[in-house]
Amino acid sequence: MPGTSEYIVLGSILFALGLVGFVSRRNLIVMFLSTEVMFQGVIVNVVAFGRLHENLDGQAFALFLLVIAAVEAGLALGLVVLLHRRKSTLDSEAWATMRG
Amino acid sequence: MSVETLETLKLCGIVILLAPLAGAVLAGGLSPVLRGRAHWPAILGVGAAFAAALCVLIHVADAPAGEVVAKIPVYEWIAGGTGSSFNVEFLIDPLTAIMLVTVTGISLLVVIYSRDYMRERGQPERGYERFFAFMALFVFAMSALVLGGNLLLLYLGWEGVGLCSYLLIGFYYGKPSAAAAAKKAFLVNRVGDFGFGLGIFLIYLSFGTLQYDEVFRMVQQGVLAGGEPLTDGRVTAIALLLLCGACGKSAQLPLHVWLPDAMEGPSPVSALIHAATMVTAGVFMVARCGAIFTASATAMAVVAVIGAVTALFAATIALVQTDMKRILAYSTISQLGYMFLGVGVYAADSAIFHLFTHAFFKACLFLGAGSVMHAMGGIIDVRRFGGLRKILPVTFITFLLGSLALAGFPMFSGFFSKDEIIHHALSHHWILGGIGLVTALLTAFYTFRMVFLAFFGPQRVPERVHAHESGGWMLVALIALAIGAVGAGYVGVGPKPFHEFLAPVFAHTFVANNPVTSHGHAAGHAGFWAEYGLMVVSGGLVIIAILAAYVLYVRQPWIPALVKASFPGAHRVLWNKYYVDELYDEGLIEPARTSGRACVGADDFVIDGVLWLITMVPRSLAYLLQTLQSGALQGYAVTMLAAAAIIGMLIL
Amino acid sequence: MTATTANLLYLVFAFGGAGVYFLLPRGGRSNPIVGAILGLSTLVALLIVLGVGVIAPSPTTGCFYVLATIALFAAVRVVTHSRPVYSALYFVLVVVAVAALLLLQHAEFLAVALIIIYAGAILVTYLFVIMLAHAGGSSTYDRRAREPLLAVLAGFALMAAIAGRAGDLPAGQSPESARLAADVAYSSVFPDSNTMAIGATVMTKYVVALEIGGVLLLIAMVGAIALSRKQIPRGERPKPRVIGEIGKEVPPY
Repeated sequence: MPGTSEYIVLGSILFALGLVGFVSRRNLIVMFLSTEVMFQGVIVNVVAFGRLHENLDGQAFALFLLVIAAVEAGLALGLVVLLHRRKSTLDSEAWATMRG
Repeated sequence: MSVETLETLKLCGIVILLAPLAGAVLAGGLSPVLRGRAHWPAILGVGAAFAAALCVLIHVADAPAGEVVAKIPVYEWIAGGTGSSFNVEFLIDPLTAIMLVTVTGISLLVVIYSRDYMRERGQPERGYERFFAFMALFVFAMSALVLGGNLLLLYLGWEGVGLCSYLLIGFYYGKPSAAAAAKKAFLVNRVGDFGFGLGIFLIYLSFGTLQYDEVFRMVQQGVLAGGEPLTDGRVTAIALLLLCGACGKSAQLPLHVWLPDAMEGPSPVSALIHAATMVTAGVFMVARCGAIFTASATAMAVVAVIGAVTALFAATIALVQTDMKRILAYSTISQLGYMFLGVGVYAADSAIFHLFTHAFFKACLFLGAGSVMHAMGGIIDVRRFGGLRKILPVTFITFLLGSLALAGFPMFSGFFSKDEIIHHALSHHWILGGIGLVTALLTAFYTFRMVFLAFFGPQRVPERVHAHESGGWMLVALIALAIGAVGAGYVGVGPKPFHEFLAPVFAHTFVANNPVTSHGHAAGHAGFWAEYGLMVVSGGLVIIAILAAYVLYVRQPWIPALVKASFPGAHRVLWNKYYVDELYDEGLIEPARTSGRACVGADDFVIDGVLWLITMVPRSLAYLLQTLQSGALQGYAVTMLAAAAIIGMLIL
Repeated sequence: MTATTANLLYLVFAFGGAGVYFLLPRGGRSNPIVGAILGLSTLVALLIVLGVGVIAPSPTTGCFYVLATIALFAAVRVVTHSRPVYSALYFVLVVVAVAALLLLQHAEFLAVALIIIYAGAILVTYLFVIMLAHAGGSSTYDRRAREPLLAVLAGFALMAAIAGRAGDLPAGQSPESARLAADVAYSSVFPDSNTMAIGATVMTKYVVALEIGGVLLLIAMVGAIALSRKQIPRGERPKPRVIGEIGKEVPPY
């Protein structure tokens, strides 16, 4: 029977993998997929903590995380479509006009 | 004066001020409604002011002797601390009354004239409303200048006429020369006004007030506000500073340069500036502040000398000019020189008399020149047309009458007034009188040179010009002014009602302080023969000059060419107006420009250089840091992530 | 978990980081085989390290390790695959594995919701966008990660910071029997089914958050529509009306 710490380790690994993907991949869609991976990690963590404290707050929180994830996905994909229309590419480095 | 009279005078004064102002506001503000009828507010406003001025004149004339000066406070204008407040107040005395009638009357005729002048083939010109609004505003400013009971109101009007002259000279602001002339007039006037302002400050410092009566009383008692004695040096300084302003406004040497260029404005504007408003302000101010000027013999001498030299100087320039309006402009400068000469030799009444007559004939001449210009399609160079007396009969007659008056032909208005000034000048110093006589000769000569070139000889008009007599409104004004040019002088001959009327104003200043009469000098009590002998002499000189002009420019036109060829240097000097403009360019403007460039250079290299060095430190730092500013979102995310990792390791 | 386990974990993380680094697409220089070997050995090592404390492997424990392995493997593939479509599909695998893990934690409703929302809705949207934007195959920017080394270093440093302290948690140190007892106790806290319990919690304790979440979804919908609608190209600006050129008229006088 795996304890909370195992879930925390798993969740943090998932989170870190998502972060690495977010900062290192150049495709906008894959970047957002990576953030979804981060969400998975967070959900695993939150539910594990809820179990640790023997209440349902963690699960309710995870539910709201799903809502946020859905919202984020909708807006992010809308933006991706918009940006793709502007420059016909999904390369995030095409949008570096703030370069100093 | 009785209380009712004072109330009436107050009302009249308010009407004189507000009617033209209202006219200006209406003409300008209602321009979309009025359009081609925009002259009505101006005419009605100035007309109302004229009527009120006549009312003032009648009341002042009716007042019992010894009570002709009315001081009428209207309201507190600037409430200063410790009793140093300024009122809007009127000072109404014979001088004010005459000035008001002259200013508003001439202005009224000029505005009436402009109704047709500012039209082209019956259609109002561009800026028609603007023109009439500014004209009415001009009259307002000049009325405030004349009517004011303290130096602050005078200064208000003083700057007001400066502003209006700028606006009207630059009326055709699309024309570079007009814009430049307007700027020049404004700037040259600023030079004079600077001195004038300093003079007013000094008066306030010395006497603690700017009200005429108090200042003059203290000057005549020779005390300052604190009771200390007033030194000669201080009063001379005040007088000379005020004179500086007068020289600017009245176009006296060395600040005369703006007036000839002011011809860039429409002709009615020139008539207004030269005859009724603006340039007479200087003479009026010196006469008004007679108490200050006569307290300093030095200042009076300076006034007289400036006047005499300006009169001669401008007359010589006018001899060779070919632009009709320019000739008239120099004649104005010259005549103003006469007025200053008159004031300077303690004959302020004669100077005001000359101002009065000059207003008529100069307005007549300028409007006549405008009429010629109107007929010639904008051409005003006398070399390009001639023999116009058949084409423009009314203009010709009125112009001729005005010219006779200007030349001082016997029995015309200019003759009487000018003669008086020369007479007083002679009794003061023979050189001043001599200059006056020579200038009279030159005046007659150049005036009739212009008349003969323009109206006599074979008929010539510029190509593609349909010459025609001007419209009815213009002719009405011309005829009225011509009548004035002939007849205005008769108010000052024989028993001299004009001088009698003015006498109370100057009794304690110019008359009392006149060194010639007060010391019982022989020439002071000019006998019948001394006076009339001079009349004969000057009248004869004028007739000779006119005949000479006739011979030279109608009968034997080759002589002027020969003279010109014989003395090319002299002609060039006169043609270029003694190189005064060039002198100012080289002497003042170029050094100013050079120093300006030097300052710009210093700014660019020294100050900017230091700043550049200082900014180099943060700039180089930023140069190092800006590589971090990749512009890509993920770069920032990595940074954030690394920071979060470090913090996490530290605190967890 | 003991201190030794934690230190071992750091070592394993370092290996895993190296594996991910090699797996990330780096243009021509990427070494997927090295990365794969490293990654797989890391997973095995992780199992061993975590499994050290396990005395009697139960079916639940076995399920957990299997599912965790699947989730981690799929997540690595999501992040490192050079073709977005495969990334998306591997992400489905991550979601499924996580959902199963949630089941293990008695979060049945959440597990089902995760599958429905993620796999059913979000992922489909992603796939649509990928199809819209991509003709297929992988682009240059897919085959070249930016600053992979820095990203991996920072990411795994953060992970070590979080996971390294996981051993301090109470459940991590308790024996298997205690855990089982706790599990039973946890289930008995909520006698109703999980769905009903969550519903009660959300509708009472978190009702405001629930409403806010609904509003948020609505706003997101409006925003997404506004963002992705057809942009109307701005027409040519109308020429300014000529009112009159100043100074053009030459005065007649």
